[in-house]
Amino acid sequence: MTDVPSEGQLERSSLPRDARRARLRGRILARAAVFASQVGLLAGLLWLWESATANDRQTAFLFGSPSAIFGFLVQMWRDGSLFRDTYVTGVETLLGFLLGNVIGTSIGLSLWYSQSVARVVQPFIIALGSIPIIALAPIMIIWFGTGLMSKVAMATLSVVVVALVTSYKGALSVDPDKISLFRTLGATKRQIFQRLVIPSALTDIFAGLRLTVGFALIGAIIGEFMSSSEGLGHAIFKAGSLYNIPKVFAALVATIALALFLTWLVGQLERLLTPWRNAP
Amino acid sequence: MPPLSVRNVSKSYEVGDEMMHVIGDLSLSLGQAEIVSIVGPSGCGKSTLLNVVSGIIPPGSGEIRWYGEPLSGVPARAGYMLQKDLLLPWRTAIQNVLLGLEIQGVQADAARDRAEIMLDRLGLYGFAASYPSTLSGGMRQRVALARTLVTDPEVMLLDEPFAALDFQSKLLIENDTATLVRAEKRSVLLITHDVEEAVSMSDRVIVLSQRPTRILRVYEIDIPGDRTDMMEARQSPHFTQYVRSIWNDLQSTARPVIKGLQ
Repeated sequence: MTDVPSEGQLERSSLPRDARRARLRGRILARAAVFASQVGLLAGLLWLWESATANDRQTAFLFGSPSAIFGFLVQMWRDGSLFRDTYVTGVETLLGFLLGNVIGTSIGLSLWYSQSVARVVQPFIIALGSIPIIALAPIMIIWFGTGLMSKVAMATLSVVVVALVTSYKGALSVDPDKISLFRTLGATKRQIFQRLVIPSALTDIFAGLRLTVGFALIGAIIGEFMSSSEGLGHAIFKAGSLYNIPKVFAALVATIALALFLTWLVGQLERLLTPWRNAP
Repeated sequence: MPPLSVRNVSKSYEVGDEMMHVIGDLSLSLGQAEIVSIVGPSGCGKSTLLNVVSGIIPPGSGEIRWYGEPLSGVPARAGYMLQKDLLLPWRTAIQNVLLGLEIQGVQADAARDRAEIMLDRLGLYGFAASYPSTLSGGMRQRVALARTLVTDPEVMLLDEPFAALDFQSKLLIENDTATLVRAEKRSVLLITHDVEEAVSMSDRVIVLSQRPTRILRVYEIDIPGDRTDMMEARQSPHFTQYVRSIWNDLQSTARPVIKGLQ
């Protein structure tokens, strides 16, 4: 076939190279300015904190100080506990996050299949969602012991209802006109589910994933608070009961770093799985 | 046997405690290779009619037949297109066109060939791998048209498909639609509020009344020359007469906008 442009052939337009380069440079500069301000803000806050606690031993004891926190971080790095505790909590969080989201999302999406089942189970889901997770910790420890499994169970529990509700909401928000379109094309309910409902719900599912990273971490740390011999929650709890406040903060810094890393991981996964949303 | 015949169809909705009669009593038929437009004042139930005809919602009473068979469910040989392009954002242009063929289980290579040819015919050569979010409104609607045509429907049900487009894009896509539809002898039921579009594209224009909808008048459109060129149609002296006459019909049935002025 020859490519004779038909009437109404549409051409891609492109900006001149210089203009595009200038725009790119502008964008990089703007991003650098934001980053510089963020670093400046952090440095300013740390300086305030340091100078407020420098000359007063009592405030230094109560609030710690950036230099003391840094000292503990270095010490925890040297004795290997920083890596080990972060690793333990990271594994618990990640396993609970995955398990909770797989279970919650599967149930949430499959509730789309049957409105009547969804109506029947709705109050149960709301009841389950309203339980403060910490109240379940003793039971989890009795059922799963004081090791890894009870923390994974806690993380899973704090994730599962949120994942269920967001994915179900995503499945319900499918454009009814698109469902009609699929019907006129002769699609079965299963084809509509696979080709329309699941991809439509991805936006909501990923919103849920970003939210539940934090929830999984809360679950894991509560589990460690209750009973454990390792992990960041254990480190925080132990340092706290010894009134070692700078060490509490040092473990907290590691926790924040872990949370940021896991959130970044979810963002990468989202970019990978929803390529149409990064289209230029 | 006409592809579509509608006999004494009515439809009402319950709104609160009251019944709202949307379609009064409507009969029409769509012949083989015929383009029929339906125009009517806004809110007169044109889209309801299309949804009833395509089996998406059941009629209140009356009978709908597709090729002589009473309608049950969604008719198999019909293609459907709305003002909203309903493209799936996670699929590229060609993947969107392939949707219907995938659902029907057409073998992948053959389906891809058909989709590529259809995109080429609609001037979308080179945009097969683009995501809808990167395409203009006119191009998106072309992809939607390709998706409808590629499943080879004998009847096309179009609900204001070009209403959101600018004049130029609209005329070009109307030309392409008429060309492809008339070449393949497909039947088209086109719902529109654009009187010029109705006259320039159709063999017959049905003017509907205000709710509860009935047929006000039917025009057999007799415009000489190439019926796939919407600009040429506009140059015919008959064109202006049809448009003016249909406009007058619509004026006569329109509700006064401000009641106090009556």
